[in-house]
Parts: sequence; C-alpha cells; structure tokens
Amino acid sequence: MAQHQVNYLKDGGLPVALTSIDKVVNWGRSNSLWALTYGLACCGIEMMASGASRYDFDRFGTIFRASPRQADVMIVAGTLTKKHAEFIRRLYDQMTEPKWVISMGSCANTGGMFNTYATVQGVDRVIPVDLYLPGCAPRPESLQYAVMMLQKKIRSEKAIKAQKPKRLM
Amino acid sequence: MQQTNRLRPFFENITFERDDNELVLNFGPQHPSAHGQLRLMLHLQQEQIVKAYPDIGYLHRGMEKMAENMIYNEFMPTTDRMDYIASSSNNYGFALAVERLIGLEVPRRAKVIRMLLLEINRLMSHLFWLATTALDVGAMTIFLFAFREREYLMDIIEDYCGARLTHAAIRIGGVPLDLPDNFIPDLKNFLDKLPQNIKDYEDLLDTNRIWLMRMENVGVIPTEMALSWGCSGPMLRASGVAWDIRKEEPYELYDEVEFAVPVSDKGDNFARYKLYMAEMRESAKILYQCIEKYEETVQNNQTELMAHAPQYISAPKLDIMTQNYSLMQHFVLVTQGMRPAVGEVYVATESPKGELGFFINSQGGPYPYRLKLRAPSFWHTGILTDLLPGHYIPDVVSIIGTTNIVFGEVDR
Amino acid sequence: MRSYTPKDDVQKKSYYTDRYWVAPQVPKSDVSEDAVFAADHAELRAHFEILEAYIQRDQMVVYIHPKDNYAVLEFLRDHCGYTQLSELSAIDWIAQRGGFEVFYQMLSMTKRKRIRVKCFIGENEAINSVEKLFRSADWSEREMYDMFGIKVNNHPFLKRILMPDDWEGFPLRKTYPLQGDEFAAWYEVDRIFGKEARDIIGPEIRDAARVDRYDTERFARLGYEVPKGTPFDPNQPKTSLAYQEEGGVFLIEGFDEEKSTIISDRKR
Ligand code: SF4
Repeated sequence: MAQHQVNYLKDGGLPVALTSIDKVVNWGRSNSLWALTYGLACCGIEMMASGASRYDFDRFGTIFRASPRQADVMIVAGTLTKKHAEFIRRLYDQMTEPKWVISMGSCANTGGMFNTYATVQGVDRVIPVDLYLPGCAPRPESLQYAVMMLQKKIRSEKAIKAQKPKRLM
Repeated sequence: MQQTNRLRPFFENITFERDDNELVLNFGPQHPSAHGQLRLMLHLQQEQIVKAYPDIGYLHRGMEKMAENMIYNEFMPTTDRMDYIASSSNNYGFALAVERLIGLEVPRRAKVIRMLLLEINRLMSHLFWLATTALDVGAMTIFLFAFREREYLMDIIEDYCGARLTHAAIRIGGVPLDLPDNFIPDLKNFLDKLPQNIKDYEDLLDTNRIWLMRMENVGVIPTEMALSWGCSGPMLRASGVAWDIRKEEPYELYDEVEFAVPVSDKGDNFARYKLYMAEMRESAKILYQCIEKYEETVQNNQTELMAHAPQYISAPKLDIMTQNYSLMQHFVLVTQGMRPAVGEVYVATESPKGELGFFINSQGGPYPYRLKLRAPSFWHTGILTDLLPGHYIPDVVSIIGTTNIVFGEVDR
Repeated sequence: MRSYTPKDDVQKKSYYTDRYWVAPQVPKSDVSEDAVFAADHAELRAHFEILEAYIQRDQMVVYIHPKDNYAVLEFLRDHCGYTQLSELSAIDWIAQRGGFEVFYQMLSMTKRKRIRVKCFIGENEAINSVEKLFRSADWSEREMYDMFGIKVNNHPFLKRILMPDDWEGFPLRKTYPLQGDEFAAWYEVDRIFGKEARDIIGPEIRDAARVDRYDTERFARLGYEVPKGTPFDPNQPKTSLAYQEEGGVFLIEGFDEEKSTIISDRKR
C-alpha cells in the first residue's frame, strides 16, 4: 500500500545495514585495538596516563593487555636499548596477525636525545613500524590522535589480505 | 608471513632441568608490574622463592657518558629522564651540584620557587607510586583516583614550565621563570582538597583485607640490611632510621620550614605505604609554608631569579637583548659552556625516592671529566636479591611496588 | 694529510681555549679546620698510611693505598661511625696516569659528615672487594667492572650488570667513543637477524640534524604516506591529517563541534 511505503534501504527502515565484509571486519578491528603494555621509559608513563582517569583510553576500545598474544597493537613507548632489542623482536613475533606498531616518542622513532652506544637508533631497525609519534614525551592527547590515525589506516586496509612481510626482513 | 629471525630462547646458561625440585622462573624484562624493565631470575621451591637474581640494564642509556660529552647546561634536560616521575628533583640535584662546584648562591625567590617545584614533584611521585602499586596489587580504583589528582598537579607544573613529564624547570644558578599568575591559587585549591583525597585513599586501603594481607609483614627489611644495602629515603625510614637529608643536611630553605620526618620501625610493605601517605601530608605542609614565603618575596620585591655570576651564568634576558657585553658573554656561555674550577663535589639531595647524589669531577674544562649519578633506586633494586628469598610469588609484585623503583634511574 | 686526533681520549673537547687560560681551583682546606674530620683523620693515620687528605666543599677526601681499602673501610665503619657506603665508582685516568682512581663515598649518620676515600690503581691491577662490609658494594662493583673493566678480587658474582653479557668494550673508559664502536653499532642486528642482514638494514643514522624528504626507506616521507621504497614522486598528494575520512565513518557518529562544550575551568 502506498501510505505504508517504507524505504527499507534507508537508515532506520530496518535494523539492517548493508555493507561489505571488509568494512565490518575493519570496523571491529579498528574499534577494539588492544594494546600491549610496552612502557619502556618515560613515554610509558604518558601511556599509562592516557589509560588512566582523565584521558580514558577505553573510549577508543583500547585496553592494555599484558600478553602479546592478546594484543593487536604494540605501543613502543620509550627508549629501546641494545640489551632489550631482542626481547622486543620476540614479543613482536609472538603477537598474532593482524598487528600494528606505534612507535611513541622520539627515542623509539630515532633514538631521540640518546645518541649513545647503548640505544637502538629507532625501533624500525628491529620491528616494522606503522605510525611514528613524535614528542618527548608525547602528550596523552597525541597518543590518542595516533591511535585514531591508526584506526583510519586500518579502515582503509583490505580486511582479508595475504600477509605480506611489512618492512624489514 | 614473517620470515623467521635467528632468535632462540636465551637464558644465560640456566639449566631448567635440575635434579632438585627447584624451578627457574624468568620474570620480565617486559612485565606489566615490574615498573619498567626489571628482569628477575627466580629460583622457586614450590611457590616459595629461594634465590632471586635481579637483572638490570635494560634501560641503560649511557647518561654518564653523555655527561662527559656535554656542557653543563646541555646536560640538564637529560637529567629529566632519570627519575622521570619527578623530573624536577633530578634537575635540582644536578643544578645544586654544579652550584656547589662553582660556589654560587641562588637568590631567595628562586629558592622558594625551587622548593615549590620540588615538593610538587614529591607529591606527584608519591601519588604515582600509590597508583601503580595499588594497580599491581589489584586495587584499580585507587589507580584511577590517584591519577586524577596527579593530573591536576601536572596541570600546575605545566603552567609553570610547559611540560608535563620532562620539566627541565630548574637552571644552574636559579630558575628561568617566575610563577605564572594562577599558580598559587591553583596550588592552594589543590592543597585544600588533598587531605580529603588522602583520607579517601586510606579509607579504601587501610582496612581492606586484601590490601592488608598483601602488605602487612611482607617484605620486611631489617635496619641492618637497609643500612648495608645503602637504602635511603622512605625505604630507610620505614626500617627505623630517621634520616632525611632535607632535615639533616638542609639545602635551600628546608631549615626554615617546619615539617616532620615520619619514621616507622616495622620495615614491611605496609609501613612503607603508611610512610608515603604521611610524607604527602608533610609535603602539603611544606608547600603551604612555601606559598607564604613566596608572597613574602613578592612583598619585599625580591625579583631576582638567577644568580649573578657573569663567568658562569648568562645575564637576564632583558640585558642580553639590550646590552652588547651581556650578549657576547651569553654567546660564549652557550657555545662553549661555562668552565668550573678544577675540583670535585658530591652533593646529595633528598629526591622522592631517596638520596639522589651527583658526583662531579671537573678538570676546568667545559665538559665534566666524570659525572657519577648516584640514584637511590639502583640499590633499592639490588636489595631484592636479599629481600625476595623466603617470599611467595604474589609477594614479588607487591614488594617491587613498595620499593618504588624507576628504571630510568636504576640503569641511567 | 689527515689531522691527528689522540686515541686515548675520544671524548668531546672544547674547540677553543684561550692561550692564557688558567683553570682556577676549587679551594682545598686543611683537615685540621674541621674538628670532626680532624679526629677521624688522626685515628685513621694512627692505623694506616694516608697519602693525602684535605677538605673540599665540606667533605673530607682521603687518599690511601689500594691494598688497604678493605681495612680502611672496615675501620671507618666500625670505629668512626661511617656506616653507609653511598657510592663507589672510578675515574678513568689511563691517558694521564695509566690507571683508575677508585673512590668510596661514605656517610656517617651520627656525625652528619661525608668523606670520600680514594685510591689509585694501575690499568691492569685489581682491587679488593668491600662487598663483605657493605652489601651495596655488590652491585656498585659490578657496575664498576662493567663500565671500566676494573677487576675486583673476592667478589661473589663479578659479571656485567648494565650492558649485555656478551658486550665488548668498557663504555666509560675515555677511549670508548660516545656513539659506540663497530661492535656496538651492529649489536642488535647481529643479535636478532645475523650478520648477513647488515646490508638490508643498513647503518645507523646518527646525524641528529638529518632530514631527508626523499627517503622512503626509514620514515615515510614527512606528510606523505607512501609504502616503503617508493620512488620519489613530486605529484604525490599530501596525506590528510584528519583522523576521520571525509563523509564520516561507517557505524561511528561523527564529532559535532557545535554540540560539544568547552569547560573553561577545571574543577580541582
Ligand atoms: S622520547 Fe623522551 S620521554 Fe620518551 S622515552 Fe625518550 S626520552 Fe623519555
């Protein structure tokens, strides 16, 4: 009947949304980014602060997990030293695909102010990095921005793709 | 698919299959409750620890080497990254050491501002300690509460120096800036609420059964052990030695303010927890007095912020911009650095963690010949070797929590 | 001809020093000026040979023979009340004097005094451990060994502490460059991927001022999101820095600036 005409394809017509698998999967992935607590140094404190009361990371679905096997994104927050380097690689290998890495702070990006014998000059020498977040230490707001940029990046990816090795090896 | 690398499990010649019942457990270096990058090798007999080998150095960034390659002022931001929970106290320790070396007296207003910063940092550090320890023990609420208060303090600090974590707020010879307008009202506002906040934490924790079980009579440090291991700060005071460098060897204006040094003779986790709470109250008391002192300096019109020593310290900004000679001297000091006299100093200050000492050997050049950072946490980590045996696995977390170690400082 | 740089001290040097510059000295005063130190010094001198003693910046400095170090520290602890060893480390004088100066920083809580006991050892000499007296020396001596390569006799567990076990070189010696040697530069690559990966990963970039907008290997180009190794293309569009795509995001409500409130004053 004409007066009951409902456009089922419009929003609110039916509790149904038409979309592609890609979008749904990416939606799920990007909004439940579980981060591996990888507080290495000072930046780790800001990472904790962004998980705490004022900045409240849970709003983004980002919950810190202690185990690499439950984590999707590794936030490398702090200075990576040569002694520690092999552990970061091992933890990265233990994370399940798909996985992303945010390198937080100038130390993790390039070695930062510690241009010395003991620091790795950028975590990208050891593990592939998706997002570089500058700052020393970056504020929690900028970490949140980084996570949102990562979400954007995930949304633009193909959900099901052959897992190609990223950078490095 | 990722290509494999050549990493094989590497456990430093530790045999896992042993004839006796001992189990070797690797803890860290990336453990969420290790407060950084502590690695522990624990030998277990059932659930009980019989031997513990802390392994540190996972955050060794070579600061002492950096210091030898930097002019004195350049090293100031690096000290921030030692005890990054309370950066200003490191800045201060270094500034004081260099000032003693060159024999400089800081103007009164700068002293008051420094004390304000130091005590705010102490509060921040203790709140952070409370938050993380409570989180490790399982009290998530306290974590959220204490971080809330800490953020307010960070706002105050940020108003002063522009950074939340790495302040670099103190210079050799004084402080760079005067307090902003809203600093004192904000701080007062915060301090007025603080007793209630501390009371809230204590209400939640003091009679909490789980908290008591994990804190009371756990991690007892006898006085001799604390002395022998070179403990300082709250660790030492919880073991019955009333030694606070602020009281005993007063620097700045600590001899003019009134505060008590809380002591406990229990030496266990709970004693340390109560000590931190009491110290927060004392810090608040000091801060109130400092605010008064600051207002006095305003009334007396003591506006000097940097010491006057043209050989070592740049002139005020206004002079640099207007007077040729000040500009030249500033240029030399920035490009070549100051040259302190030949000599040595060791200066200890009471940082929130304990005795923070700077040993400087100067050979008359713009770079220190040797700079040794004496960080309290280094020994507070070492004591775990003797402290952990006899305890159970869950105690490890609460003991590491109450020793209040920060790895930027342990490894430097 | 290449200019000669001394190899025995590769730390940074001031690039200009006035010809007539004479470094002033931090004043040293005689031990007798402080009653407490004078008493301690007299007691020490009765038992040991003291090479030199003076007061500098309120602390007494005492030079002793390295073989006496254990006995002197024990004496100070048991008879003079210096119950705490707050610091222990060394200074590298190899280039000038062919050895190290080991110092012990001690504190007496009853007298509120600090003294520094120093001794000089040759480059290849060992020093006695004081770990039996002060447990804190356990770790400090390990650190001293780690950083300077000074051997310590009678130490229960002399192993590197801050650097990895398989590290080469002693970082705080003046001959060790700040940015590390060849071994240090490739340490993590050798360790994780093996020597054959050195070519793929490339040398460390240690120039703090280096910004290369054509470099797509290390960072993506600044402001442009390009895959690794993409050749430089001047027509590449800039990557948007907005955190949401235009037109909103599937199933997520967009942020409406009109509806948001700005809190002017935080309630402390
Ligand atoms: S980037 Fe700065 S704040 Fe972050 S870990 Fe490095 S030194 Fe610390």
